Order: sequence, then C-alpha cells, then structure tokens
Amino acid sequence: MIQSRRNFLRALPAITVGAALAPAPAIASAAGEEEGKHRWAMVVDVQKCIGCQACTVSCIMENAVPENSFRTIVSTYEVHEGKHTGTYMLPRLCNHCANPPCIPVCPVGATFQRKDGVVVVDGDRCVGCAYCVQACPYDARFINHETGKADKCTFCAHRVDAGLLPACVETCVGGARIFGDLNNPNSKVRHLVDQNKMKVLKPEMGTQPHVFYLGLDERFQGRVEGEGTLWQPSGHGA
Amino acid sequence: MEDKRRSFLRKAAIGGGLTAFAAGFSTTAGRMLDHVLGKDQPKQRLNGNSLAPEFSVNPATGALSINPEQQVSYTMCTGCTTFCGVRVRIDKKTGKVLRVAGNPYSPMSADPPLPFQTPIRESFVSLTRYEEKGLAGRSTACGRGNAVLEQMDSPFRVLAPMKRVGPRGSSQWQPIEFDQLIKEIVEGGNLFGEGEVQGLRALRDLETPIDAQQPELGARVNQVGLMASTNEGRLAFVDRFIKQSYGSLNMVGHGSYCGGAYRSGSGAMFGDMKKMPHAKPDLENVEFCIFIGTAPGNAGNPFKRQGTLIAKARSGNKQFSYVVVDPVLTNADSLAAGDRSRWVPIKPGTDGALAMAMIRWIIEQERYDRHYLVQPNLKVAEASGEASWSNATHLVIVQPGHARDGRYLRGSDLGMVFPEEERYKDKDPFVVFDQVAKKLVVHTEARGVAELFFDGEAQVGADTLKLKSAMSLLREEALKHSLADYSAACGVPLEIIEGLAREFTSHGKRAAVNAHGGMMSGSGFYNAYAVVMLNTLIGNLNRQGGTLVSGGSFKDVGEGPRYNLENFAGEVKPSGIPIGRNVPYEKTSEFKRKKEGGKAYPAQAPWYPNAPGLASEWLTSAINGYPYPLKALILWSCNPLYGVPGLRAQIEKDLVDPKKLPLIVAVDPFINETSAFADYIVPDSLLYESWGWAGAWGGVAVKMSTARWPVVEPKAQKLPDGQAIGMETFFIALAKAMQLPGFGPTGLADNEGQPCSLERPEDWYLRGGANIAWQGKTPVPEASDEDIELSGVARIRPLLEKTLKPEEWRKVAFMLARGGRYQNYKEMFGLRLPPPADPKAHAAPAGAVLAKTSTSAGIKSLAAATVAGAAVHAVKEEAPYPSDWATHRYTKPMMLYNENVGTTKNSFTGKRFSGTPSWHEPAFADGTPVRKKYPEAEWPLQLISYKSPLQNSYSIGARRLRGIHPDNPVALHPDDAARLGLHSGDQVYLETPGGRAKATVILRHGVQRGVVAVEHGFGHRELGARAHRIGDKVQPHEPAIAAGINLNDMGLSDPTRNGRNVFVDPVAGTTVRQGLPARLVRA
Ligand code: SF4
Ligand code: SF4
Repeated sequence: MIQSRRNFLRALPAITVGAALAPAPAIASAAGEEEGKHRWAMVVDVQKCIGCQACTVSCIMENAVPENSFRTIVSTYEVHEGKHTGTYMLPRLCNHCANPPCIPVCPVGATFQRKDGVVVVDGDRCVGCAYCVQACPYDARFINHETGKADKCTFCAHRVDAGLLPACVETCVGGARIFGDLNNPNSKVRHLVDQNKMKVLKPEMGTQPHVFYLGLDERFQGRVEGEGTLWQPSGHGA
Repeated sequence: MEDKRRSFLRKAAIGGGLTAFAAGFSTTAGRMLDHVLGKDQPKQRLNGNSLAPEFSVNPATGALSINPEQQVSYTMCTGCTTFCGVRVRIDKKTGKVLRVAGNPYSPMSADPPLPFQTPIRESFVSLTRYEEKGLAGRSTACGRGNAVLEQMDSPFRVLAPMKRVGPRGSSQWQPIEFDQLIKEIVEGGNLFGEGEVQGLRALRDLETPIDAQQPELGARVNQVGLMASTNEGRLAFVDRFIKQSYGSLNMVGHGSYCGGAYRSGSGAMFGDMKKMPHAKPDLENVEFCIFIGTAPGNAGNPFKRQGTLIAKARSGNKQFSYVVVDPVLTNADSLAAGDRSRWVPIKPGTDGALAMAMIRWIIEQERYDRHYLVQPNLKVAEASGEASWSNATHLVIVQPGHARDGRYLRGSDLGMVFPEEERYKDKDPFVVFDQVAKKLVVHTEARGVAELFFDGEAQVGADTLKLKSAMSLLREEALKHSLADYSAACGVPLEIIEGLAREFTSHGKRAAVNAHGGMMSGSGFYNAYAVVMLNTLIGNLNRQGGTLVSGGSFKDVGEGPRYNLENFAGEVKPSGIPIGRNVPYEKTSEFKRKKEGGKAYPAQAPWYPNAPGLASEWLTSAINGYPYPLKALILWSCNPLYGVPGLRAQIEKDLVDPKKLPLIVAVDPFINETSAFADYIVPDSLLYESWGWAGAWGGVAVKMSTARWPVVEPKAQKLPDGQAIGMETFFIALAKAMQLPGFGPTGLADNEGQPCSLERPEDWYLRGGANIAWQGKTPVPEASDEDIELSGVARIRPLLEKTLKPEEWRKVAFMLARGGRYQNYKEMFGLRLPPPADPKAHAAPAGAVLAKTSTSAGIKSLAAATVAGAAVHAVKEEAPYPSDWATHRYTKPMMLYNENVGTTKNSFTGKRFSGTPSWHEPAFADGTPVRKKYPEAEWPLQLISYKSPLQNSYSIGARRLRGIHPDNPVALHPDDAARLGLHSGDQVYLETPGGRAKATVILRHGVQRGVVAVEHGFGHRELGARAHRIGDKVQPHEPAIAAGINLNDMGLSDPTRNGRNVFVDPVAGTTVRQGLPARLVRA
C-alpha cells in the first residue's frame, strides 16, 4: 500500500474519520416547478479543491456581488498537527438547507425556498432587516450594500433555470464542485451521495444542508478556530 | 475532546480568511443604515443583479437558444504566461466584457478538450446541464483569469501616446499626436529641452563599429535594444522589426528573471543551452511525483491544467502520490488528500544538495535504470524498448593539460576523417566502450550495450588518454559529499532523503520530478541540473507516466505553406556581441589583450556563454557601458525594474539621467515601474482586444496553438484609417518612416513570392493563421456560416475577407471560432508521426521534437510534422509504435555530462565549471560564498519569494482580486518569531544587504525555520499606485495597489563585481531571489 511505503515522511497521528453521515436528503419534500421534479444540490470533493478561488471570482462577476461581500469563498487553512503541516481548502456557500433557519425569522416572508430546494430572497419584499443574516449558522448571507437587500448564493438559479450550470461549478479548476439534481437517479450528485459517506457542515444544527462534502475531515465540520490570517478579504479585520 | 480539537485547530488561514464568510454578519449593522438611506432596487426579483444568461438550453433536448444581446467568443487569456484558451462573454451593446471562463476546445482549460471538429453550437451545449455535459467537460478560467477582465476598463490604462514633460520618472506627461510621436522618435532633436537626442534613423548605423578596437561588438545599430517579456503570440512580429528590419542584435525576454535557472539546468541535460528544452511530468499517468521549487495547482505553468490534473490524480483510483519540496507550504499541498500529498520543507536554494544526495543514494544502491543508461545510441535504445536515451556511456577525456580535456572523445579522435568545419561538431560521433567487443567504438556503430562506469586509459591514436564515461563523472561528483553533509546542507533529514529516493525508484518509469521558478537562487543552475537528472536516472523521458516534452505549436511565422513570414528582401542579419554578454569571453578583444598582458582573467564583468539572452545583465551593462552603452531602449510590455531583484536600487538614479541612456520608449497598456522612466509611452492592445498565436509553454504533449483575436473593439486611440494604436501600428509606422524593409505595402510575400502588405496587425496574424491552417497533411476545415455567427467571428469577417485569399479566410475563421488549432488529444501517445510532406512546412516545434536526424543513429520516420487528426502513417518495415511512447518525442541524448558547460571557464576566476550536476553553496562571481560575505551572525534569516494562485507581477490592478487577496504580510516560523519576540501582525523592517522595507509579520508553521517568505506581486509603485499628470489632468490613483512589499526591491548586487550589477547565477546568469541573507528589526 502507498501508506506503508510512505511512512518515511512522517508518523501522522491518524485523523479519525467520524461516522457522522449526512442527514438523509429531504427528497420527498423537495419540489421543482412541478412538485418533486428537481432537488438541486452540490457535492464538494474537498480533495479536488486547489484553493484557486476561481469559483469566488466567477460568482462575483456573474452575480454582481458587491465589494467586500461573498456568496461563496474558499477558506484555506494551514493546519499544524504534531510535526506535520499541511494545507486545507474548504469551499463554502449557502447550503440550501432542507430545514433552513433563515426562513422563519423573516418578518415579511421575503426569504423562501423554491420547490426545487433553492433558498432565495424576494428583493421586492425584503426590507433589509438582516434577521436572516443572523439566523444562518453558516454566515452565508449578507446585506448587499448596493441593493440594501439580503443577498446570498442562489445556486445561480437564473442559470440553472436556463439549463446552465452555476458559475462556480462551470469554472471550478479542480473539478471539486459538482452540481445536479438529487431527484434524477442518473445524476452525478445522486450517484455520489448514494455511494459515499457524505458530510455536511454543522450537522448538529439539524439544518439538513444540501451542499455535501466528500472526504471532509470532521474537524472542519464545525466552526474553525484559527490564529492569524495570512491574507483575507479586505474590509474584514482579523 | 475539546482540548484535542483546539490544538489541532491551531492554524492560520492562508486564504479566504477565517472571518471572511462571516462578512455579512459583521457588516450587518452598517448596512442597515445604508438601507434606510435608500438603495438601488435589484434588477430582478429573485436574482438580484445577476447577469442574464448568455444562452439557454433545453435540458431535455439540448436545443440551444442564444441571448441576442450577448456574445460568447473563444480567445486567449493573458492573465498569466499560461495563455489559456478562454471563452469571453460580451455585452454586445456596450462591448463590455461580462465574464470569462474556459474554452472547451483548449487542452489548457478543459479536461478532456472537445474534438477540434465540433461545431460551435455543440460546443456551447457541451457547457450546459444537458446530459450533465458541462460537468464532464467543464472548461475553466482560474481566479485571476476570472478577474482580469476588469483591467479592460481600468482607469489606469494608457489609451493615447504620451511624452514626458518633466524629468524622467517624474510622472508628468503630455499627450502627443501619433504622427508627431513617430517623427520625434525617428528623427530625434532637442526633444525635451535637455539637448540633442539621436533618433532611431541616425542610430540605425549598420556599418560603423561601436568600437574599432573591438570589432566583435558589431555595428552601432546594436546600441538600440528592445526588451520584451514573453511570447504571448506577438514576439515574432517584434523580432522582425528590431532584428531583421531595423538590424539590431539586441532583443531580450524575461526568462533570466523568471524561471531561467530551471530552464538552463534543464537545457544542460537536454543538450541545448539556448532554447533550453524541458519536460513535465505526465500527471495523468505518473504514480509518484516530486515537485521541487514548483507548486502545481498553486502557481506555475500551465497553471490550471496542472491544478486540474493534480486534483484529479490525488482524488482518483489510480495509484498516485506526490511530494512538494519547498521552503514554504502552499496550495500545492492538500491535507484532505491524506498521505497522497506531502510537504517537505527545505532550506532555500539548496535543492541541489537534496538532488545530489538522492543521486548518490540511487547510484550506490544501484537503483538507477541500468537498461536505459547503457544504451549507446537512439537506434539501439529504441530497439530495446527505450523511448529516449542518454549519453551516460559516452567517454570524456579527463587529462589535465590535454587540448581536449573535458571534451567528449569523438570519432575524429579515433581517426575518422571529417572536413575541418565538421570536426568535433554534430556529425562527429561520440565514443563508447563496447562491452562485448571490449574496445572503443563510435557510439553510432555500437550495436549493443556499452560500459556504463568506464574509468581508465585507452590508446587513442598516438596518445594514451585517460577517459571516463559520463556516468562515472556523475558518480564521482555525487560522491564528493556524504549523505550526511548533503542532508545538513539542505536541512532535509537523511531518512526523508532516502525515503524520497527509494520511492522515486520504486515505480519504474512512472515517477517524475519537476522544478521551475523556485530554482532562482545563487546556485540555481546546478540545483536545477541535479534535480532534472533524477528523471534521467530512471529513464522516464517520452514515456507514459514519466516526463513529456511539449507537443509544440503550429507555426504561424516562418516560411509557411501560405505566406512567407520569415525572410524578405533587404533583411538584415544582425551580428555582434549581445549586450547581456551571453557569449564566450575568450572570443573577445579584451581577452586577447589581457592574455597578451599576461593575465587573461578576470574579465571586467562576467560572461555567460552557456546562457540565452540575459535581461538580468542588460540594463546594468548599458549603464556601465560594458560591453557598450545603449543609445535607445524600447520596452515592450515588460517590467524589469519590478522583476529583477536588486535592479532598481542599482540603476534608478542612472535611468533618470538621459545622458546615460538617451532615449527610452515604452509600449505598454499601463504605466509600470519601468515604463514610468520612459520618454514616451505608446499604448498597446490588452487581453481580449489583441491578436496573437501562442503555444503551450509545456505540460501539453499534443500539438496546439491558441488564437487571440480582437473579440471586442480595441480601446486605444484610433488613427485616421480606423486602426487602434498599439504595438504593431507603432512599429509599422516606425518602419514606414525609416523606409525599412519587411514592412509596408509589399512588406510580406505569399508562398509564391507575390508581394502583399504588412500595414495592419491583421496582415500579419491572419496570414500567420493561414500558415497554421495549412500545416500538416490536410488543411483545417472551413467555418460554417453558423460557426462564424455564433463565435462572434462575424464581427471581424470583413477583415478576414479583405486580408486573406478566398480559399483561406474560412479556414482561418474555423480556427478563430474555436480559439486555436489543436491536435486530437487522444494522439498524445502511441502515434508514429509521418515524415514532413513538405520541407517548407517547417512544422517542427522549436526544441521540442527532433526534426532533423543529424546522426546516423536517427530514425527517419521520427520527423516532427503532424496534423490534428493525423492518420497513422506506418512505414512498413518498422515495428509497431509502442502505445506508451509519447507521440512527440525528444530524441537527442540526455546529457549526464555537458561538455560545453564542463569546458567553460568562469570569466572571473578562470576556473572550469563542472560539467555534471553538482552541489555548490551559493557564491558571488569571484567564488566567495554568499554566507562568507554576509554571515549568519549578521543576517540570520533568508528571504524567499513564492506565489499565490491569485496575484502575479501585473495583476494587482484587478480590484476584485485585491478584494480577496489585498496584501502580502511576510511569513516567519513561530520558532524564529519567538526568538525575535514577534507576533502575527507586528510591524518590522525587513532588511537585506540590498534594501529595506517595512512589512507586517505573520507566523506560519508552513515556513522553513530561518526563512522569511515574501509573496510575489505586491509592493507596486505604479500600475495605478501613484497618480500621473497627463496634460492638465491629474489621473486617479489607488493606494491599495501599493499594498505590501516587493522582494525584488531588496535583491542583492554582487560585492565582488565592479560597477552596477545584480547578483546572478554564475552559469545561467539568472537573477537570485531565493535565499537572500536577511534580518528582521522591529519597527
Ligand atoms: S474553483 Fe474549484 S478548485 Fe478552485 S477554489 Fe473553487 S472549488 Fe476549489
Ligand atoms: S492560468 Fe489563469 S490567468 Fe493564467 S492564462 Fe490561464 S486563466 Fe489566465
């Protein structure tokens, strides 16, 4: 095995991969334009992410994301354990949860879930109170300082509805972001979710995320504490 | 549990900071207020201000409908030197570039690429959800490639010619009419009220020697020099102007301050020190790969392709693992990939010690590929199943005092008769010791294996000569230091060195090692030569899973099948000594004079006979007047003052003085740190508005050319005839004003010798396209009306029809529509290339594949012409071509000993260089070790340069990139920080013997102890960092562009040299930015 051959490099304290399975996707309740037609979801294969931020920038360009805000970004950590130091890349975006805590807090019903699972904000109704921003356990929402509305990843619904792929997926250099319809038994995401132990972020919150992480170290599932930041988006002090 | 977690999570976020995604939350309060104050309602109810899709596709049927308001065109990204094929999405009404992603036909961007024949409509559908095609065939642009479109609309662009009004470098300009610009540059005069300046017409003196005492320097025309950067597809045009047409010898690119040391080290092994061929790992099939001084997926070239393939390999089912050896941890590593990815820290600039240790271990343990190394020539090697060969068995004369000491023994030494001019040249064969016959035979005659470790005497003619095989010399060199000493030198523990060597030799030919820009240290040449030699010890060249040379490009220039873009009546053949002194000192008058005076060495300054053109030496040479001064300098899209370590401090003051360099003209879309010192700045086309045909630099083993064509209207000022001012229009106008040959109404000729014009950029690039279209067995197909419409080529259709012949234009359109021409990707392996049908086709890519079989060992059928979709052309008597041999092979021998290097004398010390890889501690020109001059006691740290995936030397202007990555704090290991009492965020002065800068410190475990790591791409003084006044208007400036520091501002000069100079590698002449002595002082 590769493992035994490569012992010369280090004795690595094994990272225990927890059994925390993804909560079963809420397929039954999902619905597209026609009830139950699509349930959009993303699989992020963390081994494939190279931290190039192509996704981050393409999202900004596609969705006119204002400066200093992000609908998606790739957190990149330098991890030091024992004698070994390595790089960990973790793409983040709205999880399009089946049980989204951001929705019930909206006083005007502006934020809602489409029948295909995409969580969106109705700009005509949003009053910019930011309750949803605070309710999201994933920090996935922000107030767009150009429109004054709550803003977040929409899975590029405007593209998906046109038969296209989300911008970040189209341009993912590592091929880490895989997008598709969980309700389609032949889709790649369906296959991946069925055949692998998927993880989600903060499973204990019971939000039932629909961004699934393949090969995620369980220690990155929760909030990642860190010290020092080499570089980070401008405007967000350390 | 909690505690364990916390200690594991002691980490620094190195990108997309920890709090980044909490952005919304942290800014909520402020935004509430914004909302109260009133904002623009988003354009769409649910989708905010997102763009309208460029097209839509019916996911059930695949039917495509185009958004008539947008255009998607396939062209080239010049966001870095990878030059990927991209798709550019344009708002038709405004001409604004909306977004950029990848071109699905291009192997630089797609994995796998679409077949070349695919109609444009189908290519669009391939990007969509239809049958999930867009997932399988996604074609990408990187973070930078997504962001650089902002540069198109940058407020800092130079859009009209300007002339300085204040002193040089004072940022005061006035606009100047194009005709007046040409007149002043050509005719000279009292241009700045500072006295007479000679114009280009007067400087074009093709007769008078620069110095009658030193005729070898050449004519005075050589005192006009042109500095370029890299071949982004237009270099041949510039070359034609400055060399063949104007007549100067002096044109140089950026290699010597980019990754030149790696290329030189590789060039020594590949036996070509001028073109410097190199090979890259076959990432799709390799089982174990070591990256030393290069960081796949983090930076490097081809950036995205390497990233995609490494990501695929480390997550896939095939056996694969890799190690990145680097003083700093980058995104090349992936903890998520577990044991398949490893980072091994190393002391800066000591990669040669590691590589020589591995070489020593591999030789001592006899784990080299003996079967590969014993082959005496290509033919025998091929017959026994090797796809490449080496000169390991070739014999070298090692007889101090002998006239040919250090040279290979040749056939003529054994009595073969050659005309004098061919003696000891290519046709004069090498000699091996035949193991069966037990005697010396010329390598071309050898029929079986040759002695690998020959070390003895032999009767050669009347002499008894001491001879050693190249392999013996390599072993001898490797044994000079013990493994423990090597380990101490590089800081890599012995067991890791042995582990790496064992693993590297455990996969047959399916292992590889690769290097690149991290080799730019004081011993860069030998470090690189040693590193790449590991590949030869396992004989992996040209083999699947080993290392592969580039498949080359389809040639636009040259004496092509449709147009002659090479020669013309009246063309000048420039001659003389290049200002960078990359020729033997021993051929100069200075040498002769000094030798007669009894002391030939040292030369006034070092010479570099084994190097290509050296920008590293150019400007200091010009200022020192050695070998001669420059009278005029043209800078085209290059920035040596930002990029050459130590240069700014050396010559900044001289550049301000017009007496030292009387005329400086820059052609650039921006004002950069170098062009800020120009007398005139001429705008150039930028990104998607420009022309060009570029190949892959490496890492793509099929033949391909990427097309760049104006998919949007150029923004620069237009001339009365409608042409936008740019590099081409400028040189065409200069040529016209001076009536130079090779430009103008009859500047070009078609393949029948009929004259045609070279008066507009498209005259050159479209005809170059026709040459590409006709290469190989069959020309490319013709574009359909739909291809032309959908691809946006329709916008320039009138140009195509006007410039090209009726039978040509649709073929060129076929390629422009697809953003280039590409050989079928499946032809990477196992295809025997047909012999070139037409010798005029010039299909052989420079340096990539053997073209002419110069020795009898060559095999005729291996010539290099190829076609996209070339039919297998099996020559009857030949065995079937092995399926795991690269289609495009490099067939000259890998040189374990390079006789040109091994017989070159250091022009300072007069001592001979080593001809094999070896380990040398970095030293200055006279041999003084750097650490002797700048001891650790005073300079306890070492600086290194590294890159992020986002910023390069010219990307800082892209606002949204800065938004993600605004600064470059300098990284230090926590142990060093503890010693210095420093914490993350502390302000320090970073000092080297060459400079000082104020910086912010960040602590990282991912840095080798004793190292300060500085990321490249920051510390700009121009590109928008400073306001310039043009006419009576003060231009904007953006302080954020000046963020951070530039390591190159702290580069060293060589204290053992005289005059202005920067510290360079003694063989390659390449600059030094890895391992600079440094210290930190609390600010
Ligand atoms: S584009 Fe893909 S590989 Fe690059 S950072 Fe984003 S998720 Fe990772
Ligand atoms: S790697 Fe990125 S910046 Fe470089 S050419 Fe490709 S897309 Fe452009």
